[in-house]
Amino acid sequence: MKLPLLSLLVFLPLLGAGLLWLLPARAARWLTAASMLATLALGVAALVAYNPAGARFQLLEQASWIASLNVHYRLGVDGLSILFLPATALLFLGALVACWNVVQLAVRLHCSLLLLLQTAMLGIFCALDTVLFFVFWELTLAPLYFLLGRWGVASSSPQAAARYFLIMLAGGIPLLLVFVMLAASQPVPTFDLTLLLDAQLPRSTQTAVFLLCLLGFGVKVPLVPLHTWLPQFALAAPGSLTALLVGLKLGAFGLIRFAVPLAPAAAQDMHWLLAGLGTVAILYGAVGMLAQTNLRLGLAYASICHVGLAVLGLASYTAQGAQGAVSLLLSFSVATGGAFLLLEFLRQRTGSTDIHALGGAAKTMPLLATGFLICGLAGVGMPGTSSFPGEFLLIIAALHSHTGAGMAALFGLSIAAGGFLALYRKAFFGPVTRPEVSQAQDLRPREWAVLVALIVMIAVIGIYPGPWIEIVRPAAEAWAAGLGR
Amino acid sequence: MNGTLGSLREIFWYEQAGLPLLLLLQLLPLFGAAVVFAFKERSTAVLAGKAFALAELLLAIVVVSRLQPTSAALQLAERFAPLAYHVGVDGVSLIFVLVAALLTFLMTLYGMSRGMISPGRLFAVLLLAEAGLVGMLLTLNVAWFAAFSALELWAVVYLLRRWASSHAETQALARFVQYQAFGWGLFAAGCLVLGWGHAEAHGGRWSFDLFDLIGAVPVGKFQTAAFYLLFYGLAVRTPLFPLHGWLPNMAQHGLIAVAPALMVGVKVGIYGMFRFVLPLTPVAVEYWQPYVVGFAGAGVFFTAALAFQQTNLRRLLAFAVVSHTSLLVIGVFSLHEAGIQGAMLLAANFGLAATGMWFIVGFVFRRTGTTELHELSGLFERIPFLAIAFLGFGLAIVGMPGTPGFDAAHLILEAAIDQFGALLTVATALGNVAAAGFLLWAFQRAFLSQAKSGAYDVDRTLPMEYVVCGIALAAMLAIGFFTEPWLHLTETASQAAAARFVR
Repeated sequence: MKLPLLSLLVFLPLLGAGLLWLLPARAARWLTAASMLATLALGVAALVAYNPAGARFQLLEQASWIASLNVHYRLGVDGLSILFLPATALLFLGALVACWNVVQLAVRLHCSLLLLLQTAMLGIFCALDTVLFFVFWELTLAPLYFLLGRWGVASSSPQAAARYFLIMLAGGIPLLLVFVMLAASQPVPTFDLTLLLDAQLPRSTQTAVFLLCLLGFGVKVPLVPLHTWLPQFALAAPGSLTALLVGLKLGAFGLIRFAVPLAPAAAQDMHWLLAGLGTVAILYGAVGMLAQTNLRLGLAYASICHVGLAVLGLASYTAQGAQGAVSLLLSFSVATGGAFLLLEFLRQRTGSTDIHALGGAAKTMPLLATGFLICGLAGVGMPGTSSFPGEFLLIIAALHSHTGAGMAALFGLSIAAGGFLALYRKAFFGPVTRPEVSQAQDLRPREWAVLVALIVMIAVIGIYPGPWIEIVRPAAEAWAAGLGR
Repeated sequence: MNGTLGSLREIFWYEQAGLPLLLLLQLLPLFGAAVVFAFKERSTAVLAGKAFALAELLLAIVVVSRLQPTSAALQLAERFAPLAYHVGVDGVSLIFVLVAALLTFLMTLYGMSRGMISPGRLFAVLLLAEAGLVGMLLTLNVAWFAAFSALELWAVVYLLRRWASSHAETQALARFVQYQAFGWGLFAAGCLVLGWGHAEAHGGRWSFDLFDLIGAVPVGKFQTAAFYLLFYGLAVRTPLFPLHGWLPNMAQHGLIAVAPALMVGVKVGIYGMFRFVLPLTPVAVEYWQPYVVGFAGAGVFFTAALAFQQTNLRRLLAFAVVSHTSLLVIGVFSLHEAGIQGAMLLAANFGLAATGMWFIVGFVFRRTGTTELHELSGLFERIPFLAIAFLGFGLAIVGMPGTPGFDAAHLILEAAIDQFGALLTVATALGNVAAAGFLLWAFQRAFLSQAKSGAYDVDRTLPMEYVVCGIALAAMLAIGFFTEPWLHLTETASQAAAARFVR
C-alpha cells in the first residue's frame, strides 16, 4: 500500500480547519501556519516523487465515489500541474502572513475558510475526474465569498463578493454542461479525464465543448469581455486574497487541462479565437493599466495582460507554447502573488494603495519598495527573473504561429512594462507629502521572511530555469502530441 | 423493461419483514398525537412528543433497511380490502418519508426552543400532521391520499388558527384556506373522475386503487380531465407558479417555521405527481408536457424576479420555494429517468434546505422581532454559526457541489439536455443562478452588512439552535458527499416511472 500522497496533500488543510475548532482561538494562527507548512512539505514531497520522464499521469489514486453515475474519486498529477502544488502551498503561507495581525475578529473562522480554500484549490490541480474537478472548482466559491464579504477592505466588499460569486456560478454552468456532454458522448458514460482525453469525439461535439469551456474558464482567467469582476474584486479584497485569486491562474490552467486537449480538432479550427482573445487581453490590459492610479488596480490589469500572453502562446498548440504558458503561470503565482502581498503590507501601513496617497514611499519603506520592484519586474518579464523563460518561449511560439498577434503582444508587453514603472515611480519616489507615508514602518521580520522566500524563488528560477522547465517539458510535449501535431 | 410494462407488481410485507412496518409507520404518529394530547400541558407532553418524533424517524430508517432498492416492485405492501386500504413503498417514497420524519423531529426540537404557548397541544397537532404526511406517502389509493391530505391540511389550519395573534395572520389564514380547499377540491374531483373511468371500463365497479386504475383510465376526455384536475390540485398544494398565492402571505404572517415547513418541507405535491399523475394519465401527460414545462420554465424566472422585489426575508424565502418548485416540475415532466430521479432527490434536498432556512429565520425573528430586510443588519458578528448555516442551506438550494442538490441538479440537467435541448437547459440553470442571486442578496443585507448603530442586542447562538441547524446541515453534507446510497435507493423506482413513456 503506497502512501496516498495527493489525498494527504489535498485534505491536510481541511483536517487543519477541523482541528482549529478543537483548540483555543489564540492557537488558531499558529495551527494554520503549521498546517500550511506541512502542506508545503507534502507539496515538495509530491514534486520529488514525480518523475518527469515517467508515465503521463502519476501518483494516481482512485476510489469509488458515486458508482451509479460512474463518478470516481480520482487524483493524479502530470508535468503541467505538479509545480502548481508547492506554488499554491507557498502562496497560501504568504497570504496567511499578510493577514496575520489584521484579522482580529473570528480568527478561527477566517483561518478555517482559508484552509478550506486551500483544499479546494489543491484539489483543482489534482483532480482527474471531471465531476471531482467541478466539485473542487465550485467549492472555492463559498470560502471566497465569506473571506471577501466579511473581511473585505472596502465598504462595497459584500456586493463585490456577491457579484464574484454569481458570475463564477454562472461560469460554472457551461463547465457542467461540458462535463455532462462529454460523459454522454462515450459508449459507457464516464467522467474519467484520462479516458476522455483519448476519446475521439465528433466535430460538432468538439466545437460545443471548446466554446463552452472557453466561456466557463474564460470568466475565471479572465479573458477580456468577461473580466469585469476583477477590478472590483481587486479593490474590495484584502491583498492576501487577491494574491491567491490572481496569483493562481485557475482559469488558464483549466484551458490547458480541459478546453484544448478535450476538443483538439475544434481548438485547432478556432485557433484564431483563442489567439485573438489572448491578443485583445494583452492590449486591453496594458492600456487599461496606464489609466490606473491605484496600484492594486494596476496590477489587476497587468495580470489580465500577462495571462493574455499565456493564452496567445497556448494558441500556437506547440509544446513550446504549453511549456511557456505553464512556466509563466507558475512564475505569476510567485511574482504577482508576491506583489499583491506587498501591496497588502503597504495598505496596512498607509491605508491606501492609490498613488495620490503615496509618493516617496521608498524613503520610509526601502525593503518593501525593493521587494515590490523585484516582483513587479518579474511580472513584466524582465530577463533574469522567473517570468523570462516562460515569456520567451511564449513569444517565440506566438511569433511562429500568429506573427501579427505576436508583434502586437510584444508591443502590449512593452506598454505594460512602461505602465508599471510609471506607477512605481509615482508611488515610491518623489517627495514624501503624506504623514501616513512618513510615519510608516518598514517590513517586519515575519513579512520580510515571506519576501525573501519569494525573491529567492524569482531569482533562482530566473537565473537557472533549466530544471523547472524540464519538469514541464515532457508533459507539454505529450500535450502537443495529443493535438495531432 | 419486460412485458410487465405499465402494470405494477408488489411484494407483501410478510415476505420481507416480521411486522407490518408500514402500518406501524402510520399508526405511531397518530398514537403519539393521542398520548401527547392526553398529557395536556404537562411537561411530559413535550418530552413524549419528541420521543414519538424520534421513534418515527428510527422506524423510517428500519423500513429503509428492509427495502430492496433493486426491485421495481412496490414493497412491504399491505392490503385490507373492506377499507380499500392499500399501502406500499419504493425507494422514492421512502426518501420522502425520511425527510418527513427528520423534519418533524427537528420541528419538535425547534418548537421547544421557540418557547410557544401550550406546547403540548402544538406537539399533538404536529404529530397529527406528520401522520397525514406519512399516510399520503405510503398509500397506493388516490382516495386515501386525498383523505390524508385533508387530515394534514386540517392540522396546518388548526396550527395557524390556534397560534394566530394578529389580524394579518387571520387574513393570511383565510387566503390559505381558500386556496387549499380549492386545490383539494380539484384533486378530489380528479379522484372521482378516475373512479368513474374505472367504473365505465369495468361494468360499474368503482375503484381508486393505483393497481386497478393503471392502464384503466380511458384515453381521451376522461384522461385529460383526470390529468388536469389531479395536476392542478397538486399544483396548488406544491405550490406551482401561478397558483402560489397562498404561500407568501402565510410565510410572512403565519407561524414562522412550523407551518411553512409542514406545507413545503415535504413536497407531497411533487410526490403525488410522481406516484399518481404520471402512471395513471400517461397519454395526457405526454400530450400536455410542453405546456407544463413551458409554464414551469417561465415560473422559475418570474418568481425569481418577484423574489428580488421582496423586502421581507420570510416572503423572499416563500418565493424562493416557488421558484425551485418549478425546477422540480421540469424534472418530473422531463419523463426521463434521470430527470425524475433528480427531481425526487432535489425535492428532498429543497425540503431539508428550505426548512433549515426557515428555522434560522425563526431564530432571527426571536432575537430581533422583525424579518424586514432593511431592519436587519450585522447578524454575522453575533450569530456566525446560524449565518453560515443559512448560507449553507442557500447553497444547497442552488445545487452547489457537496450538497445533495448538486447530483440532483446534475441529473435534471442531463435529462433536460436529452429531452428539451440545450437552450431550455441553460435557461433553467440560469434560473438557478438567479435563485443564488436573491439568496445571496438577502444574506448580504441581513447578515453581512455593517451593524447599524443603536441596533438591537442580539443573543448568541443557543445550544438548541446548534443542535437543530447542526443536524440539518450535517445531514445535507453527508448526503451531498455520499450521494451513492440515495441514488441507489431511487434509481429503480425512477426508471420504472420513466419506462411508461416513449423516449
